[in-house]
Amino acid sequence: MKYDVVVVGAGPAGCVTARFAAENGAKVLIIERRSEVGVPVLCGEGISRKIDEWDMLEGDRWIAGRMDGARIYSPDGTMVKLSADLAGNETGYVVYRDIFDQELARRAVKAGVKIMMNTMAIGLLKDNDKITGVKAKQFDEEVDIEADLVVGTDGVESKIGQWAGIETRLNPKDLETCAQYTLTNVECTDAYCDFYLGREIAPGGYIWVFPKGKDTANVGIGILASLSESGMAKQLLDRFIANDPRFKNSEPIRFLAGAAPVANPVETVRDNLILVGDAARHVDAITGGGLTCCLEGGKIAGETIGKAVEEQDFSKEMLSAYETGWKEAFGKKLKRNYLVKEIMLDFDDKTLNMLADSLKDYKFEGISTLRLIKALVLKHPTLLMKLRHLMKVSKEAKE
Amino acid sequence: MGKPKAKVDREKCLACGGCISVCPQDALSWYGSKALVDDEKCISCAICIRICPVGAISGEVY
Ligand SMILES: Cc1cc2nc3c(=O)[nH]c(=O)nc-3n(C[C@H](O)[C@H](O)[C@H](O)COP(=O)(O)OP(=O)(O)OC[C@H]3O[C@@H](n4cnc5c(N)ncnc54)[C@H](O)[C@@H]3O)c2cc1C
Ligand code: SF4
Ligand code: SF4
Repeated sequence: MKYDVVVVGAGPAGCVTARFAAENGAKVLIIERRSEVGVPVLCGEGISRKIDEWDMLEGDRWIAGRMDGARIYSPDGTMVKLSADLAGNETGYVVYRDIFDQELARRAVKAGVKIMMNTMAIGLLKDNDKITGVKAKQFDEEVDIEADLVVGTDGVESKIGQWAGIETRLNPKDLETCAQYTLTNVECTDAYCDFYLGREIAPGGYIWVFPKGKDTANVGIGILASLSESGMAKQLLDRFIANDPRFKNSEPIRFLAGAAPVANPVETVRDNLILVGDAARHVDAITGGGLTCCLEGGKIAGETIGKAVEEQDFSKEMLSAYETGWKEAFGKKLKRNYLVKEIMLDFDDKTLNMLADSLKDYKFEGISTLRLIKALVLKHPTLLMKLRHLMKVSKEAKE
Repeated sequence: MGKPKAKVDREKCLACGGCISVCPQDALSWYGSKALVDDEKCISCAICIRICPVGAISGEVY
């Protein structure tokens, strides 16, 4: 059977792209190597309130908690508090990712999308150099799936791009390697997402505590892969949990390992090919969060695909409306936050403490990165050298 | 030659995909829901060993 579009990977990027493509007239198949959509969960499960405006999820079964704000702790424990309005941009809800993903899949199926589970892409079908579909394996059987367009939404481990000649391999300095416990019987009394920074705590990354309902929380760590040693993420997380009184009587009900790309986005369209989500490296390099880009980018991709099907034109030129679209929507933010990540890597614990100390009383009203940087530079003129480049980009970027 | 290749402990691997995303030789891929090293391709660079968050990959670290 031939489809207009085959989508590889039933994560948020795949389900949203598929849904909007189908709603715009495309015949779409998703293939997914796992045996249950959204399972196992590999995520901290924090997401922006922005999703309210997008109408992609119905009901509230996917919501574990609504957050009142976020707190960032520097290595010496100095706390910077962000109110809901501001923090909501990054951490508005804590969700159940399995239900979240399945809800996105349900909306896709409702739009007419077909899903094949236990089916792993193992290569691209090509006619000379033209991509004509996906070679896949369902259980032990090889199947050829023909399609005019292949969508790579195969996550951090993506191979679709590489098979099409796009370099998606990550340099270890562009990967956060992660571990997370979901702990129950914790003593987290308020609805705040907490972030802990510091070289000793989490080199090149941070530890997070995201409350999930009443007495359960996701407690996780991401460290920069280039600073990692074998098993280090788990060891540092175990140490943090052992030393925090809130977790004294807690027990884990889930443990996961994870990997989050913190790279610059790659080229996302070729003839007969589109990349979306983690596969496109559409992740905020400061937080490692990628869900909003999956939803926002997936919608743009799906709409572009609808047009391509209508005109029966799957050329790179036709598909580049998607690339222009995501660049407009969040491209500058990704670029700027990648630069911030690079700059923050140079900060030792002393600098982080000093920054937190300057910011702890800062009135975060209508905060923009540019204003924040200006406020910092006024207090610490020597920072100017490091931040100069960033100010330029920040001026260009839409807040 | 003679250098130990990376090896994934299938009991420990939690399938995060990190090693697959960084291997410079494309020597890692999924096999039955866990990461697997292709010995033919592995050049014993040990990158995957260092980045595994749960220490599921061994070999010699240079
Ligand atoms: C520990 C951790 C914590 C995180 N916390 C947050 C957070 O709090 N907030 C946030 O916004 N983001 C967070 N992220 C990032 C977020 O999880 C990702 O950005 C998001 O899952 C990307 O969605 P996706 O659809 O692109 O890919 P995925 O969700 O990874 O989906 C890819 C799918 O493709 C399938 N697949 C892969 N290869 C193949 C193949 N060859 N054939 C068929 N199927 C295949 C996979 O099985 C998977 O189902 C976190 C990441 C990690 C690792
Ligand atoms: S990095 Fe470790 S846990 Fe993750 S897939 Fe590779 S071997 Fe498995
Ligand atoms: S040792 Fe290097 S080449 Fe071998 S599998 Fe690991 S990352 Fe790939």
